[in-house]
Amino acid sequence: MKKFYLGKVMARFVFYTGLVVGDAGIISRHYSPESEEISMSDYLIETKQLTKTYGDQAAVKDVNLHVKKGRIYGLLGRNGAGKTTIMKMILGLTSITSGEVDVFGQNIKGHEKRIYPRIGAIIETPGFYPNLTGTENLEIFARLRGTAAPNAVKNALKVVGLPYKDKKLFSKYSLGMKQRLGIANAILHDPELLILDEPTNGLDPIGIAEMRDFIKHLSAERGKTILISSHILSEISLLADDIGIIDHGTLLVENTMKALEKKNRKYVLLRISDMPKAMLILEQEFHVTNFDMYDGHTLCIYDTSLDMGAVNKALVMHDVSVISSQLCNDTLEDYFKRITGGEGIA
Amino acid sequence: MRKMLWAEWRKLRRSSIILLTVFATVLIAVIVLVAGRETTVDGFYLSDAGWYMTMVQPWATMFVLPAIVAMLGSYMICREEQDDTLKSLLLIPVNETTLTAAKMIVTFAISILIYLLLFAITFSVELLLHHTDLSVGMVLSFFKSYLLEGIGVFLAVSPIIALVSYTKKSYWLALLLAEIYSFAGLFMSMSSLTKTFYPITALLGVAGYYETTTTNLFESLFVLLLCGCLAALILVCHQRSGKEKKYHGK
Repeated sequence: MKKFYLGKVMARFVFYTGLVVGDAGIISRHYSPESEEISMSDYLIETKQLTKTYGDQAAVKDVNLHVKKGRIYGLLGRNGAGKTTIMKMILGLTSITSGEVDVFGQNIKGHEKRIYPRIGAIIETPGFYPNLTGTENLEIFARLRGTAAPNAVKNALKVVGLPYKDKKLFSKYSLGMKQRLGIANAILHDPELLILDEPTNGLDPIGIAEMRDFIKHLSAERGKTILISSHILSEISLLADDIGIIDHGTLLVENTMKALEKKNRKYVLLRISDMPKAMLILEQEFHVTNFDMYDGHTLCIYDTSLDMGAVNKALVMHDVSVISSQLCNDTLEDYFKRITGGEGIA
Repeated sequence: MRKMLWAEWRKLRRSSIILLTVFATVLIAVIVLVAGRETTVDGFYLSDAGWYMTMVQPWATMFVLPAIVAMLGSYMICREEQDDTLKSLLLIPVNETTLTAAKMIVTFAISILIYLLLFAITFSVELLLHHTDLSVGMVLSFFKSYLLEGIGVFLAVSPIIALVSYTKKSYWLALLLAEIYSFAGLFMSMSSLTKTFYPITALLGVAGYYETTTTNLFESLFVLLLCGCLAALILVCHQRSGKEKKYHGK
């Protein structure tokens, strides 16, 4: 009986977390049963054992990233975790120490002319010419790109909520305006893939919400694939379809948001004296099957709509002592804290 | 390349470096004008037709304009990294060699324009003071001289522009180096040999500021072309090492 319980608990843990802890205690990735079956050709970005070292220090270690077509992939990690370095390596802006990167199914090196026009990117803070206005800056990039659409600059500025032909110089822009202009530049040529490194940095709460809606719109309505990085958990959880958590250069987990959200659930924690009897009562009298057992005296009931007063009464009536009964809420942040082994992400 | 040249011109809009360049050009013209009001036994220096147009040339070339051209060229190359626009350009993608070539061409054009501005100022002053003494031949000769100086100054300072870009130092370093380099021309002009082979004085010889033999003229011309080639070599090496670092570096 005990073996059965332990097996069930372990299976449930693996099922929800999508994690397999190997013999050496290394956390490796696997897709949860909720993951969609996808073929290799559906990956717009795929990295294999991607590594970047500076001297003896590894900034990125053996990262296997999989960005699926038409989805928003959120790369979540603390500042300095290696998010920007990964993005730079994907874009060929920095050297790769070892490993491989495939974008649109091919290595970027040597195919820049074919691949770059299909990508829009913001890496770190967007850089523009300070002595020019936003429109003038975009006109330069549009002309150099050979953007055919006559109203491309006007449309891009409209989308991010910046005025067209405004006289304000880029040097006078607020951080939020600079970020918006960076996004406008990234979408100017209507790319299939957007790589956005902390795009909401410096935006006010309303700006962040607008940016989120805009990114969702790009993905849902226009079928863009988006790789977005952030250190803000709430931001990624509201945006991403898939998520990769990076810490100290290592990709700890890669999974769908749906699978991870399962951990963000409420449950009732019951400490009782007799586990088999309690289980029987729950199943027969309350028809509850969605629960987990720990250490022979602890029950996790995931159906929070249950009348706990009635449950407690029934247990006591059957000589099962209820030591404690507590409503718990395990958040995504708790989960991130647990897997990154430290403080949470804002 | 046309797109790149257009973009480089656009990038210079409202640039304080351009204002500084124009200011320096006007300033040198004013300084020589003030100096020309000094009296000699024969009257004012300025009372001689052509004196002003002649004297502005060494003053501009040995004290101010090479430093300004060097600073402008270095600024144009360095600014992509300083303004953090290089990564956006590389993601277009823009060829770095073409980008640098476009910047050098624009610097070359600006160098000529600066000297043509200086010519326009000095010619206007001469026209006001000596409109009856000026001949078409004399004006055309000065025009040719200023034009060649514009070309020569760019070639003479081009290794400094390339070197500063290579070392990724501030463009103010280019200003300092070029100032020392052009000022040294004063001392180099004292010997016939150094006058022919030192780039700053060589360009004055090629421009016709002082009389020179045909052999010396070709030697000076060769020195200036060598400067241009050296700059191109430094920039090409810089680009290659940059690419190698990007793809193979750790």
